[in-house]
Amino acid sequence: MSPVRSVLASILAFLGATGALAQPARHVKASLLAEADAVVPGQPLTVGIRLEMDEGWHTYWRNPGDSGLPTRARWELPGGFSAGEIRWPYPMRFRTGPLVSYGYEGDVLLPVEIRVPASIGAPEVRIAARVDWLECQEACLPGRADLSLTLPVRATAAAGPHAALFAEARRRLPAKDPGWQVTAQPAPPALRLLVRAPRGAALREAWFYPAAPRVLDHAKPQPLLREGATHRLDLPLDPNGAAPDRLAGVLVVETASGTLALDVDAPLSRGPALPPKKQETKP
Amino acid sequence: MKKTLAFAAVALAVLAAASVPTASAEAVVGQAAPAFTLTDSHGKSHSLAGLAGKVVVLEWWNPECPFVGKHYTSGNMQKLQKEWTAKGVVWLTVSSSAPGKQGFVDGAKADALMKEKGGASTAVLLDHDGKAGKAYGAKTTPHMFVIDAKGRVVYAGGIDDRPSTDVADVATAKNHVSAALAEVLAGRPVSVASSAPYGCGVKYAD
Repeated sequence: MSPVRSVLASILAFLGATGALAQPARHVKASLLAEADAVVPGQPLTVGIRLEMDEGWHTYWRNPGDSGLPTRARWELPGGFSAGEIRWPYPMRFRTGPLVSYGYEGDVLLPVEIRVPASIGAPEVRIAARVDWLECQEACLPGRADLSLTLPVRATAAAGPHAALFAEARRRLPAKDPGWQVTAQPAPPALRLLVRAPRGAALREAWFYPAAPRVLDHAKPQPLLREGATHRLDLPLDPNGAAPDRLAGVLVVETASGTLALDVDAPLSRGPALPPKKQETKP
Repeated sequence: MKKTLAFAAVALAVLAAASVPTASAEAVVGQAAPAFTLTDSHGKSHSLAGLAGKVVVLEWWNPECPFVGKHYTSGNMQKLQKEWTAKGVVWLTVSSSAPGKQGFVDGAKADALMKEKGGASTAVLLDHDGKAGKAYGAKTTPHMFVIDAKGRVVYAGGIDDRPSTDVADVATAKNHVSAALAEVLAGRPVSVASSAPYGCGVKYAD
């Protein structure tokens, strides 16, 4: 092939590829929703990216695990408005052969808080986002959608028609819970998470989802052991990972009262993880 | 309910697996690269032991994966292959897609695809049983490893710092493999020796 033809072929191939990437996704329906029915000047507004996935297909969490990509949004907002980060409901695990990835199936709403200026010089507001995701069954396809919604500007707002979806998404958001004591210690080749549940509740199951890649080996088991009032979860480290000085992520636990997602950001202490129990203290 | 059951099933499987200690054979930066012997698309055998004294790149490949597509459509991968093999590096493209899985290729198919794309790696190695892929802990396509002349892993991770399928990102990305190869060939330590690999999961047998 002559150099000119080769360059032309590259350009055509490039155009072909970007064209293919810009096609609507085939297995995920994306939409942008608002929690309230109006925008109130000076009051934050919660919107949500809803992804409705065909049976068998999934999209990814902020840390996709062994493969995949997190869903991303680029916002197009009126002057004075700004968007926060996606708030991620706790994910589930997908095992494919020896690999484990983290994400969602079915229907997920990813809430985002929009900061609203104190004065708005228009009767209505348009909020738009270009959303990119990766949808996978076994094979993966990149998905993209240009989404928007328009809301009236009012002095007060009421719940919008999708408020129930937002309530459900909030129930799945990891939260800090002062009743739970969670500490982390280095225990090469693992990190040891020590968990004390309120009122000595027993953990039936537990899984720790690290917020970032390159901390844990996602596919290895996380054995859960009970040691008195404390539960111990051993988290195998990624052998090529960066040595962390904190452990951040989500601990999903199953107790008799249901599933709970705890927001964990623990320094890696080298000392005793928990204060000694009273009965062990000799006078 | 379905999710709770699935959670319980996974947890049980995890508990069952936890009682069996698993030796993790994985390519770890700073350690000896796992040995392999694989047949290439022309039927020729390649072993890591036979490449002693050479700097070696391993590139995990699945021609149907959009992340791989990004680097071949842009010409990025072929350019790297040409540039570094011209400098004496052995560049091995590895296919670990199992029979019946996405990206599975026999020798003829691998050659045809590489010819069509202008691929310039030293050889395409066929790892149909996934043994080499699992020995390296290859997770994604692409997943890149650089092995120095002494047979040590000096880089493991993503091809660059822009995890996406967007062809336009190639131009502005920092290519970790190029940086590692430049440092290795200059006899310097590799400054970014690992990063998060990104891409499609390697399509191993279930």
